[in-house]
Amino acid sequence: MDTKKILVIIPAYNEAGNIKKTIDEILALKSAVDILVVNDGSKDGTAQEAGRTPVAVISLPFNLGVGGAVQTGFQFALQNHYDVAVQVDGDNQHDVSFLPALLSPVLQNGSDIAIGSRFIQPFLGYRSSLIRRVGIHFFAHLISFLTQYSISDPTSGFRAYNRRAIQAFAADYPHDFPEPEAIVTAKRLGLKVVEVPVQMRKRMAGNSSIRYLNTLYYMIKVTFAILLNMIKKRKVMEA
Amino acid sequence: MISIKILVVGLAALVLVMAIELVRRERLTFKYASGWILAAVVSIFLAIFEQFLFKISQWLGFQLASNFVFFTLLSVFVFLGLVMTIFLCQQDSRNDAMAQKIGILEFELKKMKDQLKSQGKSDAKHPE
Repeated sequence: MDTKKILVIIPAYNEAGNIKKTIDEILALKSAVDILVVNDGSKDGTAQEAGRTPVAVISLPFNLGVGGAVQTGFQFALQNHYDVAVQVDGDNQHDVSFLPALLSPVLQNGSDIAIGSRFIQPFLGYRSSLIRRVGIHFFAHLISFLTQYSISDPTSGFRAYNRRAIQAFAADYPHDFPEPEAIVTAKRLGLKVVEVPVQMRKRMAGNSSIRYLNTLYYMIKVTFAILLNMIKKRKVMEA
Repeated sequence: MISIKILVVGLAALVLVMAIELVRRERLTFKYASGWILAAVVSIFLAIFEQFLFKISQWLGFQLASNFVFFTLLSVFVFLGLVMTIFLCQQDSRNDAMAQKIGILEFELKKMKDQLKSQGKSDAKHPE
């Protein structure tokens, strides 16, 4: 794939039914990548299931939220001198055969962040439920309006980051529902973000954290977080 | 009037003594006790020298001194609530950062232990 050191970060909370499948699929790619599972205080056997595979497993003492788990991965990547980090969700919804395509802009085209999108052509695979699509398009328009950067899938957690982005997010990354807000942070830091068409799948086991009343909270929280992010003190990135 | 005065002074003195005692027992740091100590001292002062209370409330435009007292109490509690929320958020962020550090350190420790174990096994197999 490249001589660069690549770490695949898999945040997982109560994903005992999915985690091994996700890891096995990445291992089957035979890519020169290291895999790190961040077990986010799961109450099921996620850590044990991941432990049965030859990957690194960090278990957090309690649940921090997906952003906290991913940030732990960034901190690990930074400490262990990884050049690129890829975030793959532990629910097996991301089709990891698109990993080379996702890595390509970061490895070759000088992009800081590559986001796997379900909504750019050619439209591939499962594109979420109607209600979620409405929410995704709302955030896409909001972020595009605020940052002047056109984004189609702001909630996608299938992402690749270069060292600059790893450094930025290891220090500061939102803990709850982080994906849309992280794009705004990245754009404000002057990071180059691109989207790559990818395929995603329907969840086969376990439950999403965004359900029922949580959906309403998600919409309000993320909208406020994006708006507040725009008026936060601008951080300066080291070159 | 005297009985109210005694009640207020008694209550404020109780808060003052409790705050000092909690600091003495190291269950409260002076940083967080200072606000309570100050509030208790001011309450005792205004209860004893009530003419100051009337003057301040009149100067601020309150028709009744009791309105001024209620308004002050309400403001203090709103402010206190906000300060506590800020403190809670700070602790929350610190807890999360510590959890992340513990997770990474535990992983590194396990890796080192495994390395030492496998090194010990290979040393036992191939003694010099």
